[in-house]
Amino acid sequence: MDELKGLIFSIEEFAVYDGPGIRTSVFFKGCPLRCNWCHNPEGLEMRAQIVRSPNGCLGCGRCDAIAKKHGGEYTQEAADACPRHLLRPSGVWYGADELCAKLLKNADLLRAGGGGVTFSGGECLMQADFLTEVAKKLHGKLHLAIQTSGYAPADKLRGLLPYLDLVMFDLKLLDAAQFRKYIGGDLSVVLRSFRIAAESGVELLPRTPLIPGVTDTPENLNAVAETIASAGLHKAELLAYNKMAGSKYKLIGKTYAPMFDESKAGVPDLTPFKERGIEVRIL
Amino acid sequence: MDKRVQTIYDRLQSREYRSLRSGKEYSFAQDYAAAGTDPALRAADRLMKMAQAERAVLFAEDRIGMMRTVKKVPPIFTDEEFAAIAAEHFIFDGAQVNNISSDYASALDGGMEKKRNRILELRAKEQEGSKKYVLYTAMLTSIDALYLIAEKYRAEAERMGNERLAEALSNVPENTPRGYYEALVMLRLLNYTLWLNANKHNTLGRFDVYMFPFYEKDIKSGALAREEALSLTQEFFIDLNFDADLYPGVQQGDNGQSMVLGGCDADGMPVYNDLSKLCLEASLELKIIDPKINLRVDKNTPEEVYLLGTELTKQGLGFPQYSNDDVVIPALVNWGYDLADARNYVVAACWEFIIPGLAMDIPNIDALNFPGIVRKVTERIKEFPDYGSFLAEVKKDILAECDRLTSMTKGLYLMPSPFQSVLMTNCIEEGKDISEGTKYNNYGFHGAGVSTAADSIAAVRKCVYEEKSVSAEQLLAALAADFEGYADVRNKLLAAPKMGQNDDYADGIAVQLLDWLADGLEGKHNDRGGIFRAGTGSAMYYIWCSSELGATADGRKAGAPFAANFSPSLDVPLEGVLSVIQSFTKPHLTRVCNGGPLTLEFHDTLFRNEEGTKKVAKLVELFVKKGGHQMQLNAVNREKMLDAKAHPEKYPNLIVRVWGWSGYFNELDTVYQDQIIKRLEFLQ
Repeated sequence: MDELKGLIFSIEEFAVYDGPGIRTSVFFKGCPLRCNWCHNPEGLEMRAQIVRSPNGCLGCGRCDAIAKKHGGEYTQEAADACPRHLLRPSGVWYGADELCAKLLKNADLLRAGGGGVTFSGGECLMQADFLTEVAKKLHGKLHLAIQTSGYAPADKLRGLLPYLDLVMFDLKLLDAAQFRKYIGGDLSVVLRSFRIAAESGVELLPRTPLIPGVTDTPENLNAVAETIASAGLHKAELLAYNKMAGSKYKLIGKTYAPMFDESKAGVPDLTPFKERGIEVRIL
Repeated sequence: MDKRVQTIYDRLQSREYRSLRSGKEYSFAQDYAAAGTDPALRAADRLMKMAQAERAVLFAEDRIGMMRTVKKVPPIFTDEEFAAIAAEHFIFDGAQVNNISSDYASALDGGMEKKRNRILELRAKEQEGSKKYVLYTAMLTSIDALYLIAEKYRAEAERMGNERLAEALSNVPENTPRGYYEALVMLRLLNYTLWLNANKHNTLGRFDVYMFPFYEKDIKSGALAREEALSLTQEFFIDLNFDADLYPGVQQGDNGQSMVLGGCDADGMPVYNDLSKLCLEASLELKIIDPKINLRVDKNTPEEVYLLGTELTKQGLGFPQYSNDDVVIPALVNWGYDLADARNYVVAACWEFIIPGLAMDIPNIDALNFPGIVRKVTERIKEFPDYGSFLAEVKKDILAECDRLTSMTKGLYLMPSPFQSVLMTNCIEEGKDISEGTKYNNYGFHGAGVSTAADSIAAVRKCVYEEKSVSAEQLLAALAADFEGYADVRNKLLAAPKMGQNDDYADGIAVQLLDWLADGLEGKHNDRGGIFRAGTGSAMYYIWCSSELGATADGRKAGAPFAANFSPSLDVPLEGVLSVIQSFTKPHLTRVCNGGPLTLEFHDTLFRNEEGTKKVAKLVELFVKKGGHQMQLNAVNREKMLDAKAHPEKYPNLIVRVWGWSGYFNELDTVYQDQIIKRLEFLQ
């Protein structure tokens, strides 16, 4: 049987905002959702791509000429043609053992630093079988966390949870119609996953990105706080919106098109959390 | 800072005080030459004449003050005399005693009168006109010059109605300071006078050790409130900067005014105290260049020390620099330093480890150009049928270069420095000028460009010997053409493993290179009775050694600089900072512990909240526990951003922490880059 492989687009050492302690984050390629504010568009498609850094470009047109032959897609051939080496492959297939070995090379520092590994994305659960295989191998050796939208089949999530130490769970938008509009997909899947995670006993940390006029509204934050409180949780994190969210779109040759007013970003009213005794911090 | 300190700070920033300096230039060497004056007496006489020429300038808000009004300190030898000396000797950095650390503790304990009386006692035993008699006379004149400066400032303070300073200067520098304030006034006087005495790279050493008794006494007795102590310390720090434009160095700011905090005492007990903390707080608020703070840490250093240090790093000044006692002290002991001395180490101007009061080391005497050696062996690659024979030749050449470099240091000449000698531990008792050496007389060699050299060897091994993807002929042709027309060859070389990726393939080569540098220097003695120490620093050699060097087998183009200090090559794709730490803690650092830090650069947005600061602090702690010897961190500044924007190829690994995510600077749109640059404007 072929070895199970996972498609990874970035491994970032010393990821400061992805969980406790000194951590390495592994970014899985592919995501079932399409959040309108996604700041990591490189992670959306579950296939290897060539991405192009816009800065330092001489405008020589060599890569574009080659891309034209392939329906506008940048290929390795296009990458090789760049005199400034601005094109690079995004998405590398790793075997589970290979990825574990790579992560374990820094195990001493990660452990001594009170941290471990965070699997993020994209949506890491989109490659749940591979992820579970990796988590099994690393379980007990490193503190393991996932950063997830929760958008995954119940059995896949259940199969993974026993090997995790922390689940950072996005509660983004809790109105079903709004969810469909801004994120795409069925909110009930997220809520089902949240319940499964909460009941599993694994440490669960809800996180909400603050999208101006979309997720940072009093109604949504109230719903988020209520969901957190009903799950018996007392901690949450809010991720402040930053206008640089769209900066990576050029990498994949697309344009960032927010359906909200970026300039309205501000500090929201935290009363819904405080009322329910939820300790909340803004990152 | 309080209003008084703010006023002094504003004065420094305005630079207007410089207009108070006189344009007058002095010249004494011709007279000395005509009279055939002894060099030690020349140095003392010059200091006295400079003290006479100086004018005391105080401002209403000064409690310590002191600034130069004479810009240049003239030489003691005529050009002809100096040329004659240079013809007979090895001359390093103008032959001026520099880059050492005074024994301030002994000066503060008993004051200068104690030293002066002892010199008088000892001189009385010597034959008039004898070498020792002359030196003691020169020492006495130097102390009198110090007294003259003090008296000028005392009189000016009195005239201005500055009673506290006038009172302080009626006690110091003659006697033991009666408290922390007087100790600061005395230390400032000594620092001021050393510069006026033409000494270069005047370090401040272990401020929190020698000043602590005065500080503790005042705080305990209630004579001094902590806020007052902070205010005075800040004034002292600012004062160190007033004349920085007059201090000689490779660049302004290269003046060696380093301060060392923390570490252990002679018995190995930790010394980090409230004064250490106060100094960090003072610097944190001032954000000025001097003093440049070094923190001595070890495996037991508490987290709060790293946290406060990281707050300072966040200011983007490039310090504190950390040194690890667990590595440095054993290294110094292995090199023959007494344990108690090793435990008292400080850093010289940049990073070299020296002993205050007891060392006339020249820890930056020269550098071994690792990539230069590797390039030469590579040019002869056809003579070496396999990797083993190639590597053996590199080793042979490193050892030969160590022989050559050490032999070049013979016959060093330093000009006498009687005032500096007074401030050393043994010079008075031994009747020996510091320029003639003292307890430790070791020379240090930097190992420049070790990462470039290791990467070059790794690429040769991989591409030429193992995979045979590049032939020896192709490699030679590509190097000769500076890769013009050989992009494919260069790409293969660039893709080979590099130091900093936590890959033993390249890291292991660096371990060997540094071991060979240590081997090449081990057991050799210089002609001043000292040894040669190997180090990981670069000083300016990362430019000097690289600018004339052709392309190297790692893919580096001709003339491109090496990494500064002990760091990955500039254009290496890195896995991340954890891998860098792993790679750079692999070498046997106790063998190459002359000094030279691993330098890590972070975008300062990484420090934007407590979370980021705490984690950077933790990272430093991990480096120390992992056995790193020295580390320096930079919160990347705006100038660098602008440069990165214009030359993205120079900064492939510049990581930008934007908010809850991070990315490579090069991959951000111009508009976002500009936004960051703009945001940095108010940070600076």
